[in-house]
Amino acid sequence: MKLNMIHLYPELMSLYGEYANLAVLCRHLQDLGVETAIRGLTFEDEKDFSGADLIYMGAGTERSQKAVLTDLQPHAASLKAAAEAGAVLLFTGNAMEALGASVTDKDGKVWQGLGFGDFTTVETDRRTPHDVLAAPVLWEETAVGFMNKCSTTAGITTPLFSALSMGFGNDREGGGEGYVSGNVFATHITGPVLVKNPAFTDLLVKRLFAAKGWELPAERPVYPHEAAAWAVTAGELRSRLG
Amino acid sequence: MRMVLAIILCKILRFIGKLVGKGSSLPGQYALKVCPDVLGRVKLPPHVIAVTGSNGKTSTVEMIAAILRSQGKQVVYNAEGSNQIEGVTTLILSHCTLGGRMKGDVLLLESDERYARYSFRYFHPTHFVITNLYRDQLTRNGHPEWVFDAILPAIHPETTLVLNADDPLVSCFAQNHEKVKWFGLEAWSGATAEHHGVYNDGARCPLCKGKMAYTLYHYNHIGHYRCTRCGHHRPAPDFAGTNLDLQAGRLEIDGQFAVDLSFRSIYNVYNILAAWSVCRLCGVPGADMAAVISRYILKNGRMVRFRLGQHQGTLLTSKHENSVAYDTNLRYIRSLERECSVLVIVDAVSRKYFTGETSWLWDIDFDQLSCPHVRRVWLCGKYVNDLAMRFDYTSVPAERIVLEPDIAQAARRLAAEGEEDLYVVTCFSDRDKLLEHTQAEA
Ligand SMILES: [Zn+2]
Repeated sequence: MKLNMIHLYPELMSLYGEYANLAVLCRHLQDLGVETAIRGLTFEDEKDFSGADLIYMGAGTERSQKAVLTDLQPHAASLKAAAEAGAVLLFTGNAMEALGASVTDKDGKVWQGLGFGDFTTVETDRRTPHDVLAAPVLWEETAVGFMNKCSTTAGITTPLFSALSMGFGNDREGGGEGYVSGNVFATHITGPVLVKNPAFTDLLVKRLFAAKGWELPAERPVYPHEAAAWAVTAGELRSRLG
Repeated sequence: MRMVLAIILCKILRFIGKLVGKGSSLPGQYALKVCPDVLGRVKLPPHVIAVTGSNGKTSTVEMIAAILRSQGKQVVYNAEGSNQIEGVTTLILSHCTLGGRMKGDVLLLESDERYARYSFRYFHPTHFVITNLYRDQLTRNGHPEWVFDAILPAIHPETTLVLNADDPLVSCFAQNHEKVKWFGLEAWSGATAEHHGVYNDGARCPLCKGKMAYTLYHYNHIGHYRCTRCGHHRPAPDFAGTNLDLQAGRLEIDGQFAVDLSFRSIYNVYNILAAWSVCRLCGVPGADMAAVISRYILKNGRMVRFRLGQHQGTLLTSKHENSVAYDTNLRYIRSLERECSVLVIVDAVSRKYFTGETSWLWDIDFDQLSCPHVRRVWLCGKYVNDLAMRFDYTSVPAERIVLEPDIAQAARRLAAEGEEDLYVVTCFSDRDKLLEHTQAEA
């Protein structure tokens, strides 16, 4: 059993320790007997997504995000083809915005997105850093984490989180956050999101197994530190809600 | 008239404030209400020096003050660290005559990266020192490019920029600016050909995102760089540190002045180079300066010694949310090559506003602690599980890691066992939670 992963622009797009999302996911897969291989893919590399089982991109600066969009946009079709062929996509932080129709920067310039969804993002000159407590659509446990964005995203009808009891959603405080469509997952939550939310990691593991037609073993390893870290953060944040 | 009123009001409020021990921002705040452009009306000293950047601001400002005072100059500076516009206003007006002339030869300001543009709306520094820009308190600051964009509007065309040539992002401030002086460090034995650390913010050019090529790294992304696409490169420094020998504590500046380092860290070297450059530009002779710096004892609250049971303890204060500060201390511990244990405490994550943000733990190079002389690594505090998870992804062997969420309990356990040296790495917000269980040592 082997899974091939692509980490898009690993040097530029890992602003909030987000490389750890891949590290944690790979560790969980390895513990289930899956061999994992991560290939970094950056500007100078050929945009070849064939054979990828998972494609990940994390958060970058606003300028890095635009450079990446410019570089990746001509290859949007082959990225989509990879998703249709069964690859799981995870885009976190402002990488999420790249999946939409466009990103308008704070000077009003419009940058074309990869077109996975028809949502649009508008950047502002203010950041809204905030703790996050979110209600996931696809799993039970409340999601915890942080966001540090300077944009609003409109037009998402299938959010990954139906509502936030703490934090800024796609287009307003408390509103739905993130984007999900089939095996394409996106969220502005960092922390990093898989490190802080073992239930999300678990969902991705299941999706990756299902895409391969593999059976999950009945006995699976437990991760007490992950569970406890989530519980402590969730408890802290809930206590602040009052 | 409004200016005079603002000055009087500021002086009275400052006087009362000092009596009752209140902070220094309120008088300025009221003065600005009376006369919003008061800072544009007062007459400032011939030299106005501002210092900003991610790390080293306070140390650099204090060193500049010491050098200039040794020359008999009267230096006014915001030693209390009130570096937003209200505090700056209080500082300036409380040193003004009623006629609006500020006393002193030099106004020296430690300037907050995010607020400089507000402080410098009505006046501008003659010299603006920018030390470095890297990941620091991202919850508050966003990211280094965001901070760059926040500083940019604070720069007046007439200001002489004094920039760190070795920082590829800081050197971008010279784009479209005429008056620039550079400081930098030349090759030395501690510089490396390869980048060290978990993340590499120097991998890509800040101007065009092309691939950067480094001939050497001093630390993190600070070094000698050239963009392979647009050619953005490290400029030749006007003030260069050469023949640095950290072990011996020696540095040479401008190819002729020898300086003894009382505090032997690469960060201190950059603070010295920054202070040296701006003081030279203010006319201080190199020989005088070398003598002052060599005698200069850094007020260093970062390192505190204590006893805990049989352990000789040293507290190395880092800053949460600042991986560079952590990496510095971890590198120091690794360099000691003497048997020790290390205690890492993360109890209150954010120093200011937020609670649950632990992404910065993944930017710290904890692999530094994977060496034979580090016998145990104790992980401690409310976020002990986040730490434990982080260490699961390092090369530190699991059997050397001890988890103890309760700080007092960790102190008791350490007091009862072992006699190896103990290094405590944590933030000033969490350090007293341990120190109260130890015996202080001079
Ligand atoms: Zn370039």
